[in-house]
Amino acid sequence: MTEFIDVDVRPILRAGGEPFSIIMAALERLGPGEGLRLLAPFKPVPLFDVMASKGFAHHEAELEGGEWEIRFMPDDGSFAAAEPAPAAMSDDWPEPAVHLDNRDLDPPEPMVRILASVERLAPGQTLSALLSREPVFLFRELTKRGHQWRGGFTPQRDAYQLTVRVLA
Amino acid sequence: MGSKPVIGTNLCKWTVSYFALAVVWLLLAEILMATGFGFPHDDIGGPDTLVIVHMVCVGWLSTVVCGALIQFVPVLVARPLYAERWTLPALALLTLGLTALLAGFLALGGHFNGPLWLLPAGAGLLIAGFALVVANLGMTLWSARPLPAPARFVAVGLACICVTAAFGGMFALVLSGTDLGAQWPDLLVSGVPIHAIAGLGGWLTFTAMGVSYRLLAMFMLAPDGDAKLGRLAWRAGAAALAVGVVGGVLTLWRATGLNLVLLVAGAAALLSLVAYGRDVLGLYRTRKRRALELNTRMSLLSLGSLAAFPILGAASVATGSLQSHAGALAFLVAFGWLTGLVLANLYKIVPFLTWLETYGPVMGRAPTPRIQDLVAERRASKWFVLFFAGTWVATLMLLLDAALGFRIAIAVVTLATLGLVEELVRARRLADVAEPLRLPAGAAVPRLLVLRN
Repeated sequence: MTEFIDVDVRPILRAGGEPFSIIMAALERLGPGEGLRLLAPFKPVPLFDVMASKGFAHHEAELEGGEWEIRFMPDDGSFAAAEPAPAAMSDDWPEPAVHLDNRDLDPPEPMVRILASVERLAPGQTLSALLSREPVFLFRELTKRGHQWRGGFTPQRDAYQLTVRVLA
Repeated sequence: MGSKPVIGTNLCKWTVSYFALAVVWLLLAEILMATGFGFPHDDIGGPDTLVIVHMVCVGWLSTVVCGALIQFVPVLVARPLYAERWTLPALALLTLGLTALLAGFLALGGHFNGPLWLLPAGAGLLIAGFALVVANLGMTLWSARPLPAPARFVAVGLACICVTAAFGGMFALVLSGTDLGAQWPDLLVSGVPIHAIAGLGGWLTFTAMGVSYRLLAMFMLAPDGDAKLGRLAWRAGAAALAVGVVGGVLTLWRATGLNLVLLVAGAAALLSLVAYGRDVLGLYRTRKRRALELNTRMSLLSLGSLAAFPILGAASVATGSLQSHAGALAFLVAFGWLTGLVLANLYKIVPFLTWLETYGPVMGRAPTPRIQDLVAERRASKWFVLFFAGTWVATLMLLLDAALGFRIAIAVVTLATLGLVEELVRARRLADVAEPLRLPAGAAVPRLLVLRN
């Protein structure tokens, strides 16, 4: 039976902190065969892909008050067979892990910030950015780096909405 | 929000090669003018003046505009350039064609005993070069219909360079004394205004106006999403050019009424300029960047020259001195407005392309300098001040018919141009970037004349 280490990110998020690094640090400390039990105030969908890429399957359970308990465990096949991963639809991009508003930045700063954030994302994760215009020079850099993206102008045509997905 | 397939834009390898050759032509023309070659020492329609005019309008302005358009039309319409492999042959044709054409003018002026076919041969090569550029940009625009406002200006500009080149080709046949040219004895007298209006007004000015909408909005951080932005300026300008060119050709055929056509076209052109001025002012007022960079401030100075043009023109018409002031007016448009605007924007475009070329591959992975770190604005601003002051004084000297004063002013302009060229070379060489950030691992120093893409 899998041993679980508990990580409760609810107080961190309530204090306005950033829990991702804490989760990753806890992951580093896991022994062989050990799993991670995460307590979060919302369903941390972006994390599922990150963890999947690191070889962890997950099991989710909603708690009272809209909070969630997620159990991540090393994916040796047995768990996945019993319960297929929910993020199986390949065309369905996860909710963005990062939101950027780059509308008032000077070129090329919008590009630099997007690429810098993308570098920190895990495979499969997405980033969403608002820009003041279509970032035509960014696309060639995203292509070179093997990322996917979707974009278009907002209905008012006053901003360009870009979503980048790091290739899983 | 609509999702659509998005295609990126590449850096065009030969853009800086276009810029470099163009700058060489500009310096050559300035040095020749400073030594007293051509107008005002020589007749305004004489062969020596034609050498200078074509060096400036084809060698410098058209080449630099072509180089900028092959890079920025894809940005304006968010589509890749139709055929990048056509850009180098086009540059070769333009350069060769201009060299032959200038040799033809020099032979015509008796400077050497050259064959008469130099003029039509040069014109033919130039037409081929422009055709390659127009086809390339035209196909790129065609793939992006419906066009955004700045691109519609470019489309009209491309139509106008076709008219200019067609007239230029016919002039070459007349001037070289061919049998075909002998059938149009009056063409030079009445055709030159159309050639000049389509070239300076339609091709160079109208294109520059269109591209400046996007560049000014970008560099001042001003919103330019309003579909109505630029609409009146475009409609009035396109109407002015249509009346001027079509009406001009009709009156050429009927041999009467050119003045009426020019009056109607002039009124529409004035409306276009006023609407353009209003749009630029609007962008300036809604800008989010409070302190403007040098390139934008200098662009505004060139716009001042453009604004002075109709005022000086109207004053010349009112005092009946339009004929004698035509040279000063053309100089103001070519240098105060177009050359000033182009130099100001090269000062941003060259560092921008150099930055993308050098730091694009390491963007987000290593700390990079800002684009502003590639230039030294304080040092460059004195060259810009010298350039504009020299240009305006030179215009004044032409108005006063002071030939020596003009040559001294042009010498100052030449010095300022050299200073600015050195600044651009320094930007290409990353000479002003402080050391720890200059070359992060994975970045390489750019080559001076060709972009790595």
